[in-house]
Amino acid sequence: MANKQRVKGAEALLMSLIAEGTDIIFGYPGGQVIPIYDHLYDYKDQINHILTRHEQGAVHAAQGFARVTGRVGVCMATSGPGATNLVTGIADAMLDSTPLVCITGQVPQTLLGTDAFQEADIISMTMPITKWNFQVTSASEIAGAVAKAFYIAQSGRPGPVLIDITKNAQVEEVDFAYKPCIYLRSFQPKPEFDPALAEKAVEMINRAEKPIILAGQGIKLAGAEQALIEFAEAGNIPVAQTLMGISSVANDHPLCVGNLGMHGNVAANEMTQHSDLIIAVGMRFSDRVTGDLKTYAPHAEIIHVDIDQAELNKNIRVALLVHADAKDALEAFKVGLKYKDRTAWFAFAKDKAALEDKLVISCSADPEGKQITMSEVVQRLAVAEKSDAVIVTDVGQNQMFGARYSRFNRTRSFVTSGGLGTMGFGLPAAMGAKLGVPDREVVCIMGDGGFQMTMQELGTIMQNRIGLKMIVLNNNYLGMVRQWQQLFFDRRYSFTDLENPDFAVIASAYGIPSRRVTEPCDLEAAIAELVDAPGAFFLEVIVKREENVFPMVPAGASLSKLIFNE
Amino acid sequence: MNKEYIVIAFTENQIGVLNRITACYLRRKINIESLKVSESSIKGISMFVISAYTTEEVVSKLVKQIRNIIDVIEVKYYNEDELITQEIALYKISSKLFKENGRVEAITRHWNTRIIEFNPQYVVLEKTGTREEIEELRAELERGGLLEEFTRSGSVVIHRDSIEEILQNKIDSNV
Repeated sequence: MANKQRVKGAEALLMSLIAEGTDIIFGYPGGQVIPIYDHLYDYKDQINHILTRHEQGAVHAAQGFARVTGRVGVCMATSGPGATNLVTGIADAMLDSTPLVCITGQVPQTLLGTDAFQEADIISMTMPITKWNFQVTSASEIAGAVAKAFYIAQSGRPGPVLIDITKNAQVEEVDFAYKPCIYLRSFQPKPEFDPALAEKAVEMINRAEKPIILAGQGIKLAGAEQALIEFAEAGNIPVAQTLMGISSVANDHPLCVGNLGMHGNVAANEMTQHSDLIIAVGMRFSDRVTGDLKTYAPHAEIIHVDIDQAELNKNIRVALLVHADAKDALEAFKVGLKYKDRTAWFAFAKDKAALEDKLVISCSADPEGKQITMSEVVQRLAVAEKSDAVIVTDVGQNQMFGARYSRFNRTRSFVTSGGLGTMGFGLPAAMGAKLGVPDREVVCIMGDGGFQMTMQELGTIMQNRIGLKMIVLNNNYLGMVRQWQQLFFDRRYSFTDLENPDFAVIASAYGIPSRRVTEPCDLEAAIAELVDAPGAFFLEVIVKREENVFPMVPAGASLSKLIFNE
Repeated sequence: MNKEYIVIAFTENQIGVLNRITACYLRRKINIESLKVSESSIKGISMFVISAYTTEEVVSKLVKQIRNIIDVIEVKYYNEDELITQEIALYKISSKLFKENGRVEAITRHWNTRIIEFNPQYVVLEKTGTREEIEELRAELERGGLLEEFTRSGSVVIHRDSIEEILQNKIDSNV
């Protein structure tokens, strides 16, 4: 851009964000960002600033926005406590490969290192949880830093970046000219695909009788959903999804065999254990997916495709490392692929699904019909939403039921805190998601514990008229910890029971229509009311107190050691 | 098996890279034995030499994680014998002992040291060599009760093949 303009640093920041396509920022003002907020006042028509009720709400909202749109989420906070309140969300985004640009204010350069009021060394604090961070101390650095931040956040394996801007840099004047960053000599985001690897992979796949594809979030991040399905169909290969991969394949696709991991589906986990070839794409063999590594996939050769070279051979030693973008690899793997019937292999999947149905799903509702169960709520919701809603969960049992029983017909529809497992993520992330895809139905499923960690964001939902649907599954317990205490700690329910306020009344206090159901016979109508509500709606469901998520692979146990009941 | 691995990284000369690299060691609770940062033969590019005791499996994963740091241009790990390594050490000895103890002169001559400071209170000897040589001299002086103070640099290394040439090619091919 040749046209230079003389502007203040704060305005240069906003102009840079706009140049990167930012039209929404989640933030919270404070002393060291007042100059930026002063300019935001003039840019209201171009940037929609959402004032959250806590900085943690801002960063999770930016994550939710990024996860459903595939765009960079932007959040902003002041120095010191504002910045430190972002930390949990940044760590969450790092583990879940979510592109974020976080902007924090900082004390003036002359005061750096002096323990000035609201000074926190956020650069050091966020170093291990950002893909890149940078402290701007002069207005002249702003445009370059923003350009680099956006480039790094969204290229290769996405992740969070943080720019810390001292107050003097915000108020200094600078000649503004914006040039996007397209190259850094020390950063190669997209590896070149080696066709020899595809040949080797195809040879292995053609030889395999019982292959299975493990699809992770990398499928969504690479926009490889179509390539995945075409590849799977070409070879007639079943597809299992990780928690982060959920919704990359539609649940009703005949090749989809369900979810992997600790509370995944029996078929997906058992097929892993019986497979002779695993094709893992855009996933990282997390301990929640593999269980005990020594007994993991004992009969399988593994092909691992990932864009991050540090993931290859990190947790699992594999036969073929493919350092590549998921889409490039899957398109190449299709060439020369042989179609096989695999009748016995699919029959195995069907048997395992039937077993799960018999042992878990068919008995998930209260047999006496007296109490509502969490699994029932999620199943009814999936039907009522016709598999078309974006489902955002909090963390814990609500998350696992949400993952197990939600149904999806399109990608980027399931948002959850996978790697970090952040309670309190759900509500603000769902808020950001709804703002990212305002035309889609977005439902947030929470427990009574996690909801209370960030429920102040009801204020944000009220003020911005965000049409979010909220369900709190209330069992008056921190349910997942209680489940572990029941199964592994001799039912010693140490500090997991909660005495709760009337949540529906709280929602009403924020002017959000609400309903509370306790009887199974009222559930269907209540869910219909939620789905049909034209704007925000809050549903509290009083559920059976001691419901457990099954099947379960106990932490550190072999995937073959599934447990089905208490 | 734990043994000494030397990681050599070439990075952009940016604030924070040092912390990011050492944080990779910290996360895995690996103690860094020595660390040296200096400008490489290419202007604007820093060279890190980090030595630590660990296993090959861990160091190979560590290097991949260091490679993911945005400002890191190239990083590799080596066994000690793949590199030509030298350290420099300074030994402080009291002048009185230095003059009166007949063995000192023989020692200093035998170990090829250089006197770089000589005043009425103390003498400072300098020695360049491998870590083993430096430690042997230290032990000998300590045994004789001669050593007052001792300090040692990190490793200065040069690869038997030209790694900087590889680096230059990498930078050129990227442009």
